[in-house]
Amino acid sequence: MRWYHSLTLRLLLLFWALLFAVASSGFLLAIWYSQPETPEPLSAEISNSLSPILSDPSIFSSLTPGRILAGNYRVAAAVTPEEGPTRLQLEPNLANTHRRELLSLLDAHEPQQLRLPNGMLLGPFGFEAQRILLIRPLTEAEREQQQISAKQAEDAQTLVLLFGSLLIAVLLGFWLVRPLKKLIGATREIAAGADKLHLKRLPKRNDELGELARALETAAHDLKVSRDAQRRLLSDVSHELRSPLARMQVALMLSQDDDPDANADANPHLVQMSRDVDRLGTIIERILSLSRLENGLVKLHPEPVNTYELAQTLAADLTYVDEQQGKRVLVLKGEWPVTATDDELLRLVIENLVRNALQYTDGIIELSCVRHDNDRCTILVRDHGDGVPEEQLQQLFEPFYRGDPSRNHKAGVGLGMALSLRAANVLGGSVTARNHPDGGLEVSINLPIQHLQETEQEQQEPA
Amino acid sequence: MTKLLLVDDDAELSSMLEQILTKEGYQLTLAPDGETGLQRALSGSYDLILLDVMLPGIDGFQLLQRLRQQLRSTPVLMLTARGDDDDRVQGLELGADDYLPKPFNPRELVARVKALLRRTPNTSVRPEPLEFAGFHVNPLQNEVRCDEQTLELTPTEFDILRALVQGKGQVVSKDQLSVAALGRQLAPFDRSLDVHISNIRKKIEHNPERIQTVRGRGYRLLQLA
Repeated sequence: MRWYHSLTLRLLLLFWALLFAVASSGFLLAIWYSQPETPEPLSAEISNSLSPILSDPSIFSSLTPGRILAGNYRVAAAVTPEEGPTRLQLEPNLANTHRRELLSLLDAHEPQQLRLPNGMLLGPFGFEAQRILLIRPLTEAEREQQQISAKQAEDAQTLVLLFGSLLIAVLLGFWLVRPLKKLIGATREIAAGADKLHLKRLPKRNDELGELARALETAAHDLKVSRDAQRRLLSDVSHELRSPLARMQVALMLSQDDDPDANADANPHLVQMSRDVDRLGTIIERILSLSRLENGLVKLHPEPVNTYELAQTLAADLTYVDEQQGKRVLVLKGEWPVTATDDELLRLVIENLVRNALQYTDGIIELSCVRHDNDRCTILVRDHGDGVPEEQLQQLFEPFYRGDPSRNHKAGVGLGMALSLRAANVLGGSVTARNHPDGGLEVSINLPIQHLQETEQEQQEPA
Repeated sequence: MTKLLLVDDDAELSSMLEQILTKEGYQLTLAPDGETGLQRALSGSYDLILLDVMLPGIDGFQLLQRLRQQLRSTPVLMLTARGDDDDRVQGLELGADDYLPKPFNPRELVARVKALLRRTPNTSVRPEPLEFAGFHVNPLQNEVRCDEQTLELTPTEFDILRALVQGKGQVVSKDQLSVAALGRQLAPFDRSLDVHISNIRKKIEHNPERIQTVRGRGYRLLQLA
């Protein structure tokens, strides 16, 4: 960027130029209004009243500027032909301020009147080569008229300044705010994971705003590249870890089969290994899920979901896997909404919380739902265990955090709650935990409710 | 003897799987890369193909695509070590019958293989032809005609459609369909059935929506007006 592209300099120049334009237009207007009026033909009345005096040729020879001719009329200028050059005499005060008007009026063919600030100039009157101009004070009416026109000039000036500055303010605002709005939009697009930004011609600007726009474009591109790299890495890591794990699992089964004992499962070391291989698989799966959720790599498939049915199906599935555990899950009737969301992700959120509760407590686990208003609801997962120390409530959602290290061996891999939180975030919700006043831990899933049109609800889903 | 083809570049895993499957009474042929795999698969003498996605040369998806252009009748079970759900769905869309993510329990693999092999013409539940909603199912020849046109279906798609036609317009639940076609219950997060249904719809020229989704319950056939 060159120094003359600097936004500061441009703003400075722009302000300067525009203020200058407003001021000068006001100034020009003032000049325009204070311009002397054009000469008007002399009214017959005045010519008549003056003609008796001016018809006497002898009077001209004695007339010198400043002399009073009759009544209010004084001589303002006189031209007397003499031998050689013509003699021009001007009234000294007037000659200082209005020399041009005096001379131009002297050259006029017909007698005219011209209003000056301090009097009315009349003439020329002449006899042979002699010519004179007269001046008389302004009448009351004429003075008033002059004041009015001066006031008009002032008003016009004020108006020009007012509207001129308003126009400039609007232009400046537009010029500055529009690109800013575009930049805000682009920042939102980046946050939403866009690669191509809608900046139009903004990046082509030479100033700081253009530079910012270009920087944003680069950032969006870099983010895209890093997201792609992340995706590839995830895929590669996942492949590289899973392949040996798959081999281990097969090898384990073979070694169990090779065991000469009839009951192969009796070998406790192999059973332990087999369990750990399964756990390892689960951990890898969950880390990958967590990472995909955090990096926005999860594609949502929103469709109408009856949350009550979802919770019931979940409880039924848990019963299917382990009857004792499933019996402990109680789905309470409540204000379960039907909402457009990703059913798998929502299921993931709830299932991890319920499994967690099943793992850490022995009592009943209650699932219920409360609606706050039309747009949000809270699904509550409450157990009847010992709860969690207040200071550890926040840590519950950190990856690999386990509430009770002594139950470590029995518990999961410590990623369930973290997964729930991330998945809820992806769905536009949040998860919080608190100790219920009547004992036990209560985890709240706060979710937005996306309303559905009745017709949409009945429509077929594209499989 | 039932003949299986395993296309996987992981030689150690392949040899161990060979031991397990041989013990189960199958004859396993190995192919270490995509080219070999495709050649052997196209020879057509296999009852089931186990296919890994990540392969040197042509990968599992490309292999599947080319295979399905010529050979529809052999069931294909995809083995995938990649985590993305999209990968799993992609395999099904290209005509795989089922998938098993690595690492898998070998017993699960055997169970899936058995489930996919169970469907041979002589073991079909009802050998007599079925007809509903414009579909004509001939179990003896593994053939479905829709509006007098023969549909090119994979074995799984055939089983799903047969189960739907047997339902005669009643809702057939996803679990029923999954058991009928894949020989297993649907796991949560499993979209495979939806992908198969979508594949079938794509093959029906007129009124593919006659296979209706009943949200939360399953699918059913709509009698044409």
